[in-house]
Order: sequence, then structure tokens, then C-alpha cells
Amino acid sequence: MTDSAAPLLVMHDISKRFGATQALSGVSFSVRAGEIMALVGENGAGKSTLMKILSGAHRPDAGSIHVAGRSYAPGSPQQARDAGVAMIYQELNLAPDLSVEDNIMLGREASRLGWLLRREQRPRVQQALDLLGHGELRPDAPVRSLSVGAQQLVEIARALVHDAKVIAFDEPTSSLTRQDVEHLFKVIRRLRETGRAIVYISHFLEEVRQLCDNYTVLRDGRVAGAGSLAGVPESAIVALMVGRSVEELFPTVPHAPGDVLLSVDRLSGRRFPVAASLELRRGEILGVFGLVGAGRTELIRSIFGLDPVKSGQVRVAAKLLAASPRAAIAAGLGIVSEDRKGEGLAQSRSIADNLTYSRLKPYSTLGWLRLGERRAIVESWMSRLHVKARSAEQEIAALSGGNQQKVALARVLHQDAQVLLLDEPTRGIDVGTKAEIYRLIGQLAAEGRSVIFVSSYCHELLAVCDRIAVMSRGRVTAVRDASNWNEHSIMEAAIAVDDSAGGGNERPSA
Amino acid sequence: MNDRRPEPQFDDSDTIGSVLAKKWRYDWRVTVWLFTKTALGPLFIVWALFAVLDAFQQYGGSFAQIRSFQLIVVHTAAVAVPAFGMTIIIIAGGIDLSVGAAMALSATVGAWGFLHGHSPTEAVCLCLATGLAAGILNGSLISSLRVVPFIVTLGTMMIFQGAGRWLAADTPIRPPLASFAPLADFQAPFPTPAWHIFSPGVWIMLLLAVAVSLVLRYTVFGRYVFALGSNEATARLCGINVPLVRISVYALGGLFAGVAGVYQFATLYQGNPMGGVGKELRIIAAVVVGGGSLSGGRGSVLGTLSGAAIMAVIDHGCTTLGIGDMYQDILIGAIIVAAVAVDQYRQRKMAAAV
Amino acid sequence: MFRRACLFGLVAAFAAATVLGCGSGERSGKRRIAVIPKGTTHDFWKSVKAGALKAGEEFGVEIVWKGTASEEDKEKQVQLVDSLAGTVDGICLAPIDRTSLVPPVVRAKQSGVATVIFDSGLEDASAIVSYVATDNYKGGQMAGEHLAKLLGGKGNVVLLRYAAGSESTEQREKGFLDAIAKHPGIKVIADNQRAGSDAEEALRTSSSLLQSLRGQIDGVFTVCEPNNKGMLQALENDNQAGKIMFVGFDSDPRFVQALKDGKMHGIVLQDPFHMGYQAVKTMVEHLEGKPVEKVITTGEYLATQENMDDPRMKELLNPPKAD
Repeated sequence: MTDSAAPLLVMHDISKRFGATQALSGVSFSVRAGEIMALVGENGAGKSTLMKILSGAHRPDAGSIHVAGRSYAPGSPQQARDAGVAMIYQELNLAPDLSVEDNIMLGREASRLGWLLRREQRPRVQQALDLLGHGELRPDAPVRSLSVGAQQLVEIARALVHDAKVIAFDEPTSSLTRQDVEHLFKVIRRLRETGRAIVYISHFLEEVRQLCDNYTVLRDGRVAGAGSLAGVPESAIVALMVGRSVEELFPTVPHAPGDVLLSVDRLSGRRFPVAASLELRRGEILGVFGLVGAGRTELIRSIFGLDPVKSGQVRVAAKLLAASPRAAIAAGLGIVSEDRKGEGLAQSRSIADNLTYSRLKPYSTLGWLRLGERRAIVESWMSRLHVKARSAEQEIAALSGGNQQKVALARVLHQDAQVLLLDEPTRGIDVGTKAEIYRLIGQLAAEGRSVIFVSSYCHELLAVCDRIAVMSRGRVTAVRDASNWNEHSIMEAAIAVDDSAGGGNERPSA
Repeated sequence: MNDRRPEPQFDDSDTIGSVLAKKWRYDWRVTVWLFTKTALGPLFIVWALFAVLDAFQQYGGSFAQIRSFQLIVVHTAAVAVPAFGMTIIIIAGGIDLSVGAAMALSATVGAWGFLHGHSPTEAVCLCLATGLAAGILNGSLISSLRVVPFIVTLGTMMIFQGAGRWLAADTPIRPPLASFAPLADFQAPFPTPAWHIFSPGVWIMLLLAVAVSLVLRYTVFGRYVFALGSNEATARLCGINVPLVRISVYALGGLFAGVAGVYQFATLYQGNPMGGVGKELRIIAAVVVGGGSLSGGRGSVLGTLSGAAIMAVIDHGCTTLGIGDMYQDILIGAIIVAAVAVDQYRQRKMAAAV
Repeated sequence: MFRRACLFGLVAAFAAATVLGCGSGERSGKRRIAVIPKGTTHDFWKSVKAGALKAGEEFGVEIVWKGTASEEDKEKQVQLVDSLAGTVDGICLAPIDRTSLVPPVVRAKQSGVATVIFDSGLEDASAIVSYVATDNYKGGQMAGEHLAKLLGGKGNVVLLRYAAGSESTEQREKGFLDAIAKHPGIKVIADNQRAGSDAEEALRTSSSLLQSLRGQIDGVFTVCEPNNKGMLQALENDNQAGKIMFVGFDSDPRFVQALKDGKMHGIVLQDPFHMGYQAVKTMVEHLEGKPVEKVITTGEYLATQENMDDPRMKELLNPPKAD
């Protein structure tokens, strides 16, 4: 065991600026050998920037880093690996067609004159896998054939082969099953025993409490608090994360649900959803919770006709809806994609274009546009949603995440959708904007519109929604009034996989 | 002076349209923007460079004359017209390698029409229809087979070339001059009533440039083209009929190849089925030099026109200065690479500013 | 401000160029003659260039040598003639296409620049000063006669054509076919294959031709340098070199060797050096106001294994070249 008093990783007074945004200012952070440090914070708090600096993807503007007492300033991820710092990301960085061994040794192959020396490699690979307690993984199996959990082990084994002293896990459990999560935690504890310093990033406070020794909370690029997890209540950490009281964070607008507007009957897609049924009333906010990969996104995409539908029906105001985005828009549905960059917004087009793509008709005569008229309307939407931009002609890519999300929401409002399908609408945006979006959702419900609010962040669902449906493995496993849920019961329902797989599993809502 | 409104600022994220929208009255900053942020600036630099170099030559002085200008615009038109279609395709995130072959096929079909006693109007319509059909074929194949346009149009390039050679029995079709008399002076650099200044082909090219700019900026279709190229997923999400837009884009590209076929016929006085070999790369180069991005979503008619003109200026300038063909190739190649590098640099700068 | 300064600089440069341009419109000194070959890469054109340069030196004119790299880009050659017409006193042109190059030549004449056509003809010769060329028809005839003699008046022969639209090669093809037609014992079993301007394509075409007519071919005629090259290579690859009677057109060191080795049995030669020289000389005479012949032939010769060591033949087989 190494001397536990001297920290293995010290990041001192780190600052980083991107254009106008101060991503990190004066963050200090240290991890001792044999310690698991939780790094928590809202999206956009600076966790990933800090990790990118640690891994050499970004250079800090100010501050210093020491690893095992030595000054450390990686110019690239490669240099970081060589210095003994390894990152395990949410999305795995593996070559699926190569074998376990090849992936583990990638970039560090034992070779002579360009020829691989497999005999030398094999014991090192086996040693790493044994250390992780998974000696049963076959080094020659192609990575493609492994489960996600096993693939993650391969990635961790790679870090071990590279002799990593500091290993940072960035939301490692988001795509794992419950058993795999348990396995992973065992592996991480083993790593702690071997005297490595572990950084564990997550926003599941539950997991953090299970696994970690200490915590550091980041908020708006600063350290909001740090200490030992023992004896600290969860609510105290949430308060540190959001930096304000719960009432401020989740403003509510009174609204009253009416008759059923949207009904989804045993809807099945190519893989997900599986026979999902839901009802949504006029003026109601329905939350949909599930772990990543539970099929939430697929559910609303199938409702909207973006994903192929295998069986089942969607009705809007009792009328059957054809499975195509154009039919959905015509029937008064609107969708905000979870993937703003890849799908939700055309990044290189202007605000005005993005806001009006789904409804250009009011400004066109025989295909020709009246741009002045459109500009006026776009500007009115921008001011209603407080979109901060230089002009309506500004490119989307130049806006902050929060402002981009407001444009995506404004598009749905501009097309006058009665049913809004919002997929992770608060992901990656700042706390202030989140509050604005919660208030907006409340206002929309008060106007009589219906909202399906998909999120993996149960606090916001509990605070904002009238009812919450929980999904697991593509099925809707439970729907209850929000007041009948709490953080524990939601997580339990989301993780409960096998006991509810029998079908006909929808519990009646209260 | 008393106007309290904040003065508009222009930067990299602007487009020609947005600049004009911000400041539609003439302003020197509009000119500055046009010259610093579009290919108009490089065009001017290249032109001025040759003019100065030429002026100091012993036998020089001819470059800055109107005659030289007339030649450059005629040479520009031959590349710019099909490049307008290519601009639309590239903005929509596609590519069309068959444009040269489609252009040659159109010219060949047109020549066949002239040879077989069709009136000039009929023959020109045949020419345009051939281009349009070629474009519709490209678009339909790309949409229905879900194969990348690069591969599909590589295939149709061969098909169009082979079809042309079959129709022409593998030799250029040379209709008698009398049969296409109205087209004889279409691409003549020095028009007979001198006050016309440019050949009819150049005037039509300018009209087409204006028309395409307007369509791209002021029509629903134009918006959809940009949406498709910028982010196809967004377009689908917004209920845009993606296959229809895509087929229309390639059909338009084909139509422009058909128009270019008329230009080629009027230049060569024949329909040459092999006349498109290598032309597709020049056409694509014009779009790229003009700021079109092969990843889609970016491109402008003014840029493409400038890009085509830059190449014409370099060709003409090197010829009059007696600079070898090989240096000409190297220079154009360097400009293409530089244009792409500048585009990448700007995009990275903008991404970092978020 | 910096941008403004840049813009101002550009405008100033533009103005200066225009003023200088107009000021120096009057030319002085040596005459300039543009010589435009069909292409720049083949040896034939390098010999033409050597001849043109020699004439330039002799008559005190500046030669502007400018061609397209490809021998197929008609549009480019049209543009080239148009561009050069503004900067020279006369043009010597080897047109890639007999119709497409008529308009630019007419335009050049309208702006006071005369054109001598060499190597390959134009359909409409009204605008040109003179046509300087090999009698290609006669050359083709010579090839046909020679091949007929080699075959003893009977057998099957193949003609590998060049890309369509080139007047010179079409004349050779015609001359060859006309000569063969006089020998009823000789049958032309393939004359519809064309190879473009590069040897690689000629090799492909030749190989498939040899393959498909295996065992039936007694004699072959190829009409120009790249085709000779492709056919020679194909014959060698197929182990048929020397077995099939092979007559080509135009020379190259490789063909000289092949002639020596008995792999080629005759080469019809032009005199490219003299052609280049004569084209420039004709243009100079025209510019000096002397009358010139409308058509000037530069001679055509048949080289065989027997006569290839004659000094005149040696010179023709390996003409001087300029790079």
C-alpha cells in the first residue's frame, strides 16, 4: 500500500475558458491512493471539462496538475496514458472487430520489427483480467460478441496494462444492467485495494453513496463543496449541486388535466418499445423515467413516427395516427429531440430557419417566402422564451446549449403542437435555464397542452410532472401519480427488470 | 448619425443573405464583408495579380483589356452553369460525379436532334430533358437504394458516358452549321453587335445565378435544401419530405447539366459523348473554392461563380503570361486545398466559440 | 481599419493594372507566334517543338509553346486559342477536332491574328493561311501497301483506330483501308476498335482484340504513337510479337528497337521536326506579306528493318526533341 497521506492526483487551481464561457475557475481537486472520489455536479457544471483536462484533451488556462508527486501536463490523451492516467468513458472506445487481447494491447503491442509477439502479450492480458476478477474472459474473443458490461472490463483492463495509477470513470453505469453494475463496483473496489486513485463521475447519488469514500461537488465551474460522504444527507448534496432551494429550482404553474388527448395502445417498435401503453390528458404533464437504454427515447420516437412501428396504435383525440413525422405534425404533435446536435437542430442554419422548419406555410405563397414577416414572428418567439442571441439570423452553433434548447422548444410551440414530446429537455443546460423550461412546461399545461417529459433525472420529474411512467427494457412497467413516487421507488421500478417481464404489466394509475 | 439602433456586425457566421438582410442599403462594410468572407476576395486578388504581372511583361498589357474580360466570363460560364446545380446538390449534402457525363450526354442528344432535322427549340428542349432525366435517375437511385451518392453517381457517370457513345456510334455527332444557326454565337466571346458586351450564354448564366440565389434564399424549397444538408435528421424531425426534396435537388442538378450541355454544344459545334471527362472535378472544385462544404449545409451561388471565375482567370492568365500548363494545375490545386483549409478553420473557430 | 486598407490596396492595384494595361497596348520588338500542339506529352510533339524553336531562332520570332496535357480536351483547346489570340501575332495550331476548332480560328482572324494549321486539318479551311501536314492519306496507303506485300496478298488484317474526330488519323485509316481494298485476298476482320490518346487504353483495347480474334490475325496496322505502343505491348504480352505482321505510324525509341528485333515490320514516318519548322516558317512568310502555298506537305516515309540504318531514316526514326 502506498502512503495514504500523500495524494496521488492533485489538480490545483485549474481554470479553463471557451470563448465567452468560463468553464472552470480555480478548481482544486485531489485523490489519494486507495481512495474513490466521487465527482458530482449538474450537467454543464464543468465535470467533463475537468476530466478532459486530466486526460489531455484540453489544456488548462491556469493551474497545475501533479500525478504521484510529479508535475503532469499532458498534451494529448496518449501522453496522459503514458503518465498513468486512464479514462473510462460512458461511450466505450473499443474496436469491435478486434479481439479482447488486441483491444487491451492497442497502441502498446509487444512487437519486434513490426511483428506482433503474441506470446509476450498473452500473460500481460491474462494478468490484467485476473486482477479484475474476470479471468474467464477469452482473450481471442471478438469484442463485438461481448456484453456491454464485459466490454467495459476490456476497457478497464486496457488501463491496467498501461499501468494506470489514476483511473477516472465517467458515468460508467449508464448503459449497464443491474448485475453488471454490481460487477463493476466489485472491480472498482478491487482497484482501490491495489492502491490506485479512482475518480468516479455520476449523477446517481445512490451509486455514489454505495461506492465512494469522498465527494467533490462542482457547480458553474467552481468547487461548491467537498468532504467525506459518511453522514452527509443526500439533500445537502443536491442543494450543493443546484445551488438554490428546491422551490427556486422547480417553479410550478397550477394546471388541471382534462379529458384524454393522446392514447398509446400496445405500441411496439423494431426493438423498443415493447407493447407500451399510455394515456395522456389535455393539460397534463406526464413524466417518463428510465435508465439509459430503457427505451424511453424509442417510445416517443415511435409515437411520433420517427422510428418504425411494428404493432400497436397511437390515437390523438380518438383519431388514429399514421406512423410518419408529417402525419404527427399535422395531428398536432411536436417533438424535441434529446440529441440537439445530431438531430434536434440544424447547427449551421440560423435561429429563424430552425424555428420555422416544421411550419413554413404561413410565410409562403406558391413556394416563395416572405422573410420579413417570418423574421418578426421569430423575434417574438425569441423574446417570449428569452433566447439570448444577436439576431434571428444567427447560426445555431453559436448559441449556448440552453439557448439552443429554447429554440428547439420554440419550434414546437411555433408549429402550435397540442402534444409536446420532450426528450431530456433539460440535459446539458444551466440551472437558470432549467427553471425557465420547467416554468414554461407548466404554462403550456395551463394553456391546455399536454406534455410527455422524458428524463433520467428523477428529481425534476418528481417536481414537475402530474404522473410519472417508469420504463424498463422497452416496457412501461408502472404509471403512478407523482405524489405516489419517491426517488427510491422510482429507481427500484426502473431497475426491476426480470420480475416484471411477464407482459400486461401496467399498474393502474391512481 | 442620430440613429440609435446598434450598428450591425458581420462575422464568419453570416451568409451573404444574412448580411444583406442586416444592411440592405449600400454600406462599405458590406463590400468589405463580401471581399473578406467570400471567394470574391480571392478572385479579385488573383485577377489583380495577373493584371499586374502581365502589365510588366514585355509584350504585356493585354490582360486588363475588355477582350480578356470577355474571354474569362465565357470560360467561366462553361463551368459555372453546371456548378450552380452542383452547388444545390452540395448544399443538400450530396455530390454528383456524373455531372460531366450527363452534360456530354445532353450535348450529344441535342446534337442528335439537330442532325435529325428537329428545330433548334426542340433540340434544346431534348438537351434539357436529357439532363433532367439523368438528374431524376440519380436522385431516385440515391433515395431508393440508400447508397451514398458518391457511389451511385460514379456508376451513372459510366452509364451516361456509355449511353452517349452508343447514341453517337462512338464518334462526335456533328450536325450541319445551318441546323443550329441560332446557337452558333451562343458562346462566342465577342458578340457581333458590340453593345451586347457578353455572349448570350454569359447573360443567361447571370440570369441563372440570380434565379438560383433567389430560390435558395426565398423559397421553401431552398430552406429545405439547406436543412437537408445541414442535418438530415432534423429535416425528418420537422416533417420535411426528405426523399422528395432529395430527388428534386438531383433533378435540378441534372437540369443544370442539361443547360451546360447546350453550352458545350455551342462551344464545340458538336455533341461529344466523351466531352465530360474530367469536367466533373472542375465543377466540384468551383463549388468548393467558392466556400461550399462537402459535408453539406454550406455554399453560395456567388461563391461558386467566383470559384469558377478564379479557375478561368488562372487558366487565361497563365496562358497569356506563357506559364506552363503544369504550373497552372499546381496553382489551381493549391487554391482548392487552401479553400478547404480556410473553411475548416472557420468552422473550428466557430465551434470553439460556443 | 486593416481590412479597409487591404481593400484600398486591392482597388489601387486594379486601377494601376488597368492604366498600365491600356498604356502598353502598343507592342514592339520581336514578333510572337503561338504554337499549339494537340497535346504536350507525346514525343511527336516534342519534335514539333524542336522544329518550331529552330525556325523561331532562324527567323527571329518568339515562339509561345502552349498545349493541353490531354489530347481529348477540345473545350480547353478552344479556350487556349481564344486566350492566346490576344497576345500573339500569329498562331500555328494542330486542332484536336476538325469542327470544334473552326470558330476560335475564325474569331482570331476577325481580331487580326492569322492561323496556320498543322498536322491535322480543319473542316472549314477558309479562315486559315495554310495547312502544313503530312499527307496522311498517302501515309496510310503506304502502310496498307506494305502490309499487303508482307502478307503476300492474302490474309486477315486488323485496324486499330484512334479517337474519333481527329482528321489526320482518320485520313490514315482511310488511306490504309483503300490500299487494302485493292487486294481482294486480304480481309479486314476488325476496324471498329478505337483507342484514345493514352497508351494504357490502347493496351487494353489491343489485348482484348488479340484475345477475341486469337489465331485469325495475320497483320495489324495502328495509326499513331499511343496505339503503336499499346499494340506492341499487347503483342509482347501475348507472345505473338514477330508472328503477326505489325505496321505502325510514327516513331519512338521503343519502336526502333522493335523494328530491329523484328517485332514491328514497318513504321510509316512523318517528319515532325520539319512540320514544326515549316509551320512557323509559313507563318513568318505570311506575316512578312509573302504569298504562301495553301497546302504544304512535309513528307512521309516508310522505315523497314532493311532501310532503318540509312542516315536519313535514322534521323526520321529518332528526330530531335525539345522539352
